[in-house]
Amino acid sequence: MAGARVVAEHVSRAYERTLVLDDVSFVLEPGELVALTGASGSGKTTLLQLVGSLDRPTKGTIRVDDIEVENLARPAQFRREVVGFVFQMHHLLPALTVQENVELPMLAAKTSRRERAERAVDLLGEVGLADRARDLPADLSGGERQRVAIARALSGQPRLILADEPTGSLDSVASRRVWQLLRDVREHRGTTVLIASHDTSLTEYADRGLSLVDGRLVPPSSQPRTPQEVA
Amino acid sequence: MTAISQTLSTLRRSPARTFLTALGTALGVATIVALLAVGSGAQRSAGSLIHLGASDLGLFQKDAADPTTSVLPTSLIPVLRRTPGITDATPLVLLVEDVRSDPPAVVFGADPTGFETKRLVFTSGRMVAGPNQIVIGDQMASQLHLAVGGTLPVARRPMQIVGVYHIGISFQDAGAFVSLRTAQAISGHPGEATTIAIKLAPGTRPAQAKRIIASRFPGIMVIASGDEAARAGANAQLISNAALVIAVLALLIGGIGVMNTMLMSVIERRSEFALLSAVGWTGGQIALRVLVESVVTTILGAGIGLLVGIVGAQLLVKALGAQEFVSPAITAWGLGRALLVGVLVGVLGALYPAWRAAHVSPAHVLAQR
Repeated sequence: MAGARVVAEHVSRAYERTLVLDDVSFVLEPGELVALTGASGSGKTTLLQLVGSLDRPTKGTIRVDDIEVENLARPAQFRREVVGFVFQMHHLLPALTVQENVELPMLAAKTSRRERAERAVDLLGEVGLADRARDLPADLSGGERQRVAIARALSGQPRLILADEPTGSLDSVASRRVWQLLRDVREHRGTTVLIASHDTSLTEYADRGLSLVDGRLVPPSSQPRTPQEVA
Repeated sequence: MTAISQTLSTLRRSPARTFLTALGTALGVATIVALLAVGSGAQRSAGSLIHLGASDLGLFQKDAADPTTSVLPTSLIPVLRRTPGITDATPLVLLVEDVRSDPPAVVFGADPTGFETKRLVFTSGRMVAGPNQIVIGDQMASQLHLAVGGTLPVARRPMQIVGVYHIGISFQDAGAFVSLRTAQAISGHPGEATTIAIKLAPGTRPAQAKRIIASRFPGIMVIASGDEAARAGANAQLISNAALVIAVLALLIGGIGVMNTMLMSVIERRSEFALLSAVGWTGGQIALRVLVESVVTTILGAGIGLLVGIVGAQLLVKALGAQEFVSPAITAWGLGRALLVGVLVGVLGALYPAWRAAHVSPAHVLAQR
């Protein structure tokens, strides 16, 4: 399945009087792995939430494969079919097994039991946790939990992965493994991946970077492209 | 695994949370079961009171505060016996709290040759034959360590025990019989009775006889069933209303308890619902998950509540010192009603928490570190 094309044009987001994102524009081409860097509070999480339809921009538009994200009638369906989220905290449900956690998006999509199980087992094999399917999250290390979260994000076969500080609570070895895993996802599936991270040392895994400073995109080492430039 | 079976797994793997949530419902259901059982038992006892022996109807003074305060003239007896459809009528005097015992016993004043006393089966001695004689039930004999030949003070008058009987009705086996005249002398109301027991002719329907008596004897209340007996007096009505109010309160408290517990559970698990929303669950699917959880935990709670209620009903009657008069009536319908109420409470109590869960903002919750 091809990755999604994401186009953000003049996106702003304000909470009461605080402007968190200010006139942000960029394009993600299908299958790109892009690192979104910036200090804490620079607006990385807000930008990911806007792209993933968890929030709506105050101004501007975001299109994912020509779907206008801010005007979605069924945002849950969009999140189920188009987007896969990975968060800094893995947010695995503690009472469910590893496999059941991976199946959660498919459960919402009413995928058949057999297909859910097959896909969950395949994905757990892909992230190197095939033998932990019956374990509870409490039995896993931090890095393993994050890999389960990646498998969960992939279970809906999304065209776009949005990862918000996925290595924020991991050591360097586990962090590199997670980045490599996301890179493999891009390589093997062609999924577009946008990773927010304050750790610039790991952005070498990305095709290019976007840098946010106080809610505005600034030219980083790799210049972000605006829609006009892409055109 | 379906969404429902996954919800059940979640409940099974969080036993402490599930049990505590169920406990809220259990208390409400237990209260309802206990009150219904005691109320039903009291009604049954009231029915037994009017059907002391082989009577078909019981006559009481209309608008008496309760059946024991009813006063009827015994001069009615011959008139009643001449009434069509009635084969016999016999007066009874009820003396309450005139015997020192715990729980308090009732002493019945009856005609020693009347049809009401013919049901007494004597295990020793015989029926009273004169003044200041008494026959006692076998339960009373056992509790107060009395036997034929002994004495029992009734309203401070020593009575000679001439017989011990068994009749099979708890509050009568825990009570005693004296002659009508003796009872009237003790109560200070010669020529009066508390109630008159009526025996109908074969083929006479109680409703028909009831209509005839009611039209011929204004001021008399005719009781034909336990239901009517419970409604016979203002006090019984008051108790009945109080039981209803307490049951409604139990329902409200149970409902609020379930809602509060489920709401706490939703607030505690906001990140779980936010995550479900982020991975594509609709608000309806999340709300359904909370509702299913609530219904399952309330069914569990109702099950616990039924058991606690059955035990609680016995304890309640004992705490009130009424075990000799009221035996809690645990019926399938009573338990079924409590179970239905428990499930209803679970659904209603979970509606608002389910709505809250469906509207958790993933952007707000998941962004929190």
